Amino acid sequence: MANATKAARQRPHRMKVKMTVSDYVIVILMAVIMLVVFVATLYPFLNSLAISLNYADDTMLGGITIYPRKFTLDNYKNIFTKETIWKAYGITFARTIIGTIGGLLITGSLSFALSRKNLAGRGVYTMLCLIPMYFAGGLIPSYFLIRTLGLTNTFWVYIIPNLVNVWNMILMRSYFQSVPEALEESARIDGANYLTIFWKIYWPVSTPIIATIALYFGVFHWNDWYTTFVYITDSDLKPMTSVLLSIINEASFAERMAAQGADAAVIGQAAQGKAVNVRSITMATMITSIVPIVAIYPFLQRYFIKGIMIGSIKG
Amino acid sequence: MKKAEAVATMPSTKKKGFFRRAVEQWDLQVMVLPGILLLLVFSYLPMYGLIMSFQEFRIGDFPGMSEWVGFKQFESLFSDPNFFRTLRNTLVISLLKLTIGFVCPIVFAVFLNELRNQGIKKTVQTISYLPHFISWTVCALLMMDFLSIDGGAVNEFLMWTGLVDKPIEFFQDGKYFWGLALFTDIWKELGWNSIIYISAMAGVDAEMYEAADIDGATRAQKMWHITVKAIKPTIVLLFIMNVGGVLNANFDQIMMLTKNMGNATLTEYADVIDTFVYRMGISMGRFSFATAAGLFKAVINFALLLGANWVAGKAGETALF
Repeated sequence: MANATKAARQRPHRMKVKMTVSDYVIVILMAVIMLVVFVATLYPFLNSLAISLNYADDTMLGGITIYPRKFTLDNYKNIFTKETIWKAYGITFARTIIGTIGGLLITGSLSFALSRKNLAGRGVYTMLCLIPMYFAGGLIPSYFLIRTLGLTNTFWVYIIPNLVNVWNMILMRSYFQSVPEALEESARIDGANYLTIFWKIYWPVSTPIIATIALYFGVFHWNDWYTTFVYITDSDLKPMTSVLLSIINEASFAERMAAQGADAAVIGQAAQGKAVNVRSITMATMITSIVPIVAIYPFLQRYFIKGIMIGSIKG
Repeated sequence: MKKAEAVATMPSTKKKGFFRRAVEQWDLQVMVLPGILLLLVFSYLPMYGLIMSFQEFRIGDFPGMSEWVGFKQFESLFSDPNFFRTLRNTLVISLLKLTIGFVCPIVFAVFLNELRNQGIKKTVQTISYLPHFISWTVCALLMMDFLSIDGGAVNEFLMWTGLVDKPIEFFQDGKYFWGLALFTDIWKELGWNSIIYISAMAGVDAEMYEAADIDGATRAQKMWHITVKAIKPTIVLLFIMNVGGVLNANFDQIMMLTKNMGNATLTEYADVIDTFVYRMGISMGRFSFATAAGLFKAVINFALLLGANWVAGKAGETALF
């Protein structure tokens, strides 16, 4: 009763619209869709989190849902004693930070210059940027290029080929174009050059687009597995995604062995221990690898939504 | 004043040649240079490298200087039964994504728009973006657990409802792979792909809904005639762009879901052009052959993009260019 009067107070001018059968169907459909999306998205994450925080022996019994039955931090302690995890974490962090800053600077200055109408050669430069969006040389030629340049098995293969991203360039260019030109003109009168104008005037007023593009670059670098797969064999240079995968593969190997009923003598004591822990360890490694991004993205949400809108206006 | 000055200097700068102007605005050119050079090296040199597909490349050859063989690589490509298998798999997976996978975010966005409770709306929306930010490695791992035959939530649920009497082997049986590729793609990108539609809906005038109320429109009618109509240009544009990517099955996704193609029964249904190119080229060393497959893919994609764009233009819809 109280709810009804409250609702009536909030919308006094609205006449009471009579709900038809089809309206009820829509409401039910809506509830079902929202519930399915919510549960299906969140459940796998919560389940993994629960497993990673549960005693490995207890996890083997099955039935863990979204909360740990026997809480422990052992799985996390266990993975952080492994040197490979630390190294992989270091590589992932390093390439994400360097790659994001480098990408913002190179792609940012390119897009700023292309947003200036008086840029000599603007048309040609723009064409050069647009063609690769629709046509690419592909895997094998790129592979030989990277090899010829001597980038295979170096850290720089993560950074240098990814400094320019044309999609991000277009988003940034649209944003810079939308900044009032009066800002640039007054600085020109004062004798500032374009480098100063970009850095001192445009950069500070472009927080939404910079946050969006930083997130795009950051997520790409953090999650990229392909570059390592194709160009890196040196295990010291492998990031979290690859290490995670080798853990999965180890896990499936151990599982296969266990399933085939090979006896302990054949698998060896070490592999047996691994088979018990493998799911817990995998989940703990996985959770550690996604925590930074998952912690950041909700705060950047309003920026990237804006960034996508800018992109959609320009098509 | 400033405007007048700018206009006054315009004609004289226009007459000067490119180099004179470039030197005068050296600061702007300096900002363009690194980006353009990187593009020339990392995007345009590989395009030059495509001539490998008309040659017989051997390790040690300078790229592009190998023996010319004409269309030999393409002939062996089109007579390779495995290539048609990959073509079939690529087309099936892509068409599933282009139809069902394309419609899902639209449906989600339209229904989300109907949600009156802002708190629930924001929460569902934020949660729905989450999977976009994780790698396919992690995603595959989560899905293997979610769909596992050994206590996975989906199988447990299906068993509980009585729809199946024993767990479905999603990751072991090849016949589920196409569905798996579609489902995991929707799971990962549904929320993210819906953002653009939700933004487009934000621009709809609230008065239109009120006017429809007065005319006695049902909720479904409003959703269809107002909301969906408002986002139609966005839908068309995105559809064109997606058509241009029909032969790009997601390499990361396929490799992760099949554990690097470790399972022969899955390969039958999971091998797509990109994985085929990788296997033939990098693993087996048939570089020119693999480049030919890559070029075939790039050309078809580009043609499809142009085709879709042309059709949209003819139909009076917004086109890409």
